[in-house]
Amino acid sequence: MTTSISPPDTVPEEKAAGHRMPFWVNQRLGLLVLVVALSVLFGVLRPAFLDQRLVLFPLLRDVATLTVVALAQMVALSVGHMNLAVGRMAAFGAMFAGLGYDRLGLPMPAGLLLCLAAGAAIGAVTGWLIARTGVSSFVVTLAMDFALLGLVSLLYSALTEDAAFTTRPSGIDELRSYSLADICAGPVCGSPAVPQIAQFTVLAMVGLGFLYGCTRIGRELLLTGANPAAAELSGIPTGRRVLLAHTLSGLLAALAGFMAAAGTGTFRASIGNDFMLPSFLGAVLGGTLLTGGVVSVLGTLLGTALVGVIRKGLDLLGVGLESLNIYLGCVLLLALSADRIRTVVSYRKVVRET
Amino acid sequence: MRFPTRSVLPGVVAAVVLASGTAACTYKNSDTASGGRAAPDARTGGGAELVDGSRTKVALVPGGAHPYFQPWKAAVTGARKTYGLGAVTFDETAEWDQQKQNNLLSTLAARGYNSFGVFGVSPTDINSTFADLRSQGFPVASLGSCPAGDKDEADFCLSTDVELAAYKASKAAIEAMGGRGTLVHLTGNNVDANTQLRIKGVAQAVKETGGKVKLLQTITDIDTDLQTAQKAVSDLMAAKGDRITGIVATAYNPAVAAADAVSTSGSKAKVIAIDDDAKILSGIKQGTVTATVVQNPVGQAEIGTWALALLQTEQCTVRDPGVEVDSGSFVVDKANVSDYDKARQKKTAQLKTEFADKILSCG
Repeated sequence: MTTSISPPDTVPEEKAAGHRMPFWVNQRLGLLVLVVALSVLFGVLRPAFLDQRLVLFPLLRDVATLTVVALAQMVALSVGHMNLAVGRMAAFGAMFAGLGYDRLGLPMPAGLLLCLAAGAAIGAVTGWLIARTGVSSFVVTLAMDFALLGLVSLLYSALTEDAAFTTRPSGIDELRSYSLADICAGPVCGSPAVPQIAQFTVLAMVGLGFLYGCTRIGRELLLTGANPAAAELSGIPTGRRVLLAHTLSGLLAALAGFMAAAGTGTFRASIGNDFMLPSFLGAVLGGTLLTGGVVSVLGTLLGTALVGVIRKGLDLLGVGLESLNIYLGCVLLLALSADRIRTVVSYRKVVRET
Repeated sequence: MRFPTRSVLPGVVAAVVLASGTAACTYKNSDTASGGRAAPDARTGGGAELVDGSRTKVALVPGGAHPYFQPWKAAVTGARKTYGLGAVTFDETAEWDQQKQNNLLSTLAARGYNSFGVFGVSPTDINSTFADLRSQGFPVASLGSCPAGDKDEADFCLSTDVELAAYKASKAAIEAMGGRGTLVHLTGNNVDANTQLRIKGVAQAVKETGGKVKLLQTITDIDTDLQTAQKAVSDLMAAKGDRITGIVATAYNPAVAAADAVSTSGSKAKVIAIDDDAKILSGIKQGTVTATVVQNPVGQAEIGTWALALLQTEQCTVRDPGVEVDSGSFVVDKANVSDYDKARQKKTAQLKTEFADKILSCG
């Protein structure tokens, strides 16, 4: 699902041609084809790639978590901002869940709610600072990243022996290891490749798809990102939309932190350390504009899946550390170049036909 | 700005929906289990001598790239030849991320590796990974670091006792300082269970001096790379260099940086380092580094691979699953810098005997 608000200065020809573009130019379709093609290629080269339990299940669990991280970034990007503190917000939210389980003996859903509330609160504070002071989101979220890095480490050191909350509420191990194969309707069970933890990703995607595709607030968020001045003049309370975007970004980051903690076992300060780059990568590969105004929920999932598939395939091919990131970069570059070539070729085709 | 009800409402709704999802959607109707271990007919009564390791494929997986693990590579390759193993690999692509390490382990399992020696990225999380691997029938050894807490889900842990090693290093530093003065502790990631153990070990040694030695500062999070460590040590020497009489480094990069800083600044501080990097050994020979605490990564990889092969072929079982074994740590100073490796080889031989006689039960 791609949702966009075209800026007023969009070139009319481009706009007209955009309506006549063939279906195969669709970026999401291109990504889907790439993901499937690479999966088939890796499956042929290494049949173990299609092992549902040992390869696809952990791959999809990873993709599920990183998609939520990328969605957190996408929400900030939708208003033309960025959230450099996405990883620390994940750690901050997860810390509250761990605290709830360890010290308050909360059941799993209550701890998750506490985690989401903490993430939303820190996101709201960030959004409020940006909206109120007018300071760039880059600066504010970078400052927030540093502040949370210190705060989270300090609190873990003060509150725990091993720098982690190790209490696991009932149900969290199941959330980590269960797949759709564990849900059966009579003799028919689901796929063992799909982790149950992906339910959060699906819920987040459905929620955001509805917000951006079907609500006025969603369109206002996009217009705020596309052209803040025009949005303001149109009567949109841009300050509040910025606040909302960062609140949602914090909430989704915290959700990703919870999923990462559930996926590995404990709630610790290092959760989210590596979230920032994948958050931009998934969102931007999926078609979300860094300048705001255009988001793609489905594209974010596909962008994240593309990176995951490439990495997993290279792992299976036994590519060593020295070469892994070089190959990853090259394959991504080729994938994006192919996408760009496809778009240019189709655009020329449309121009020739008109 | 008034309270933005419309802005907050979607977030609240989303939170409630997500939380209700956890309560509603975790079901299990089936169990999956497979075997990484050889068929029972592999039992041959060969005792602790591996009879046939041709179907054993051992993967040694450190938490990420680090000079400490480099001896593992040669040791596991050597073990393959010595014991006639089917295949071995040393894979350091986990990039210090627990989730990536978990994925890497499952990928290696899919590639056919059936025994795992793992240095867990997160000591508090690694038990879940070990439990997953063991539930699939794979023998697992925790090498180089044991899980945090009292429980170990691996078959066995063969590691340096990090608290004891830090204690030994601090005692050596205090002795070199003449039993009084101010000590600085340089170490790694503060939110790592092993770092907390090292901090405890140093604190214990300082406490035993009855106040004659003061711990001036514990500097954490400087083991990410050599440049970070060099900057931190350089700042420390500039700010407090004249007050420092001893430096104990319990992580690799800070140790190398401290050795460098003391030799270039002409400080009189006594440096106790860790591991046997060429710079540190050269510092000991020149007198700029007082001593270093050397660990036994070769022994961890050699003995770990051999024991894993015995478990995978079901020739042996572990008497007390989850047992923790100290792979040894040795204080190396000017007196023994040229022949400390003999002590390490002796410890490795002792470990093999200990495993054969006490840790493993072989048919």
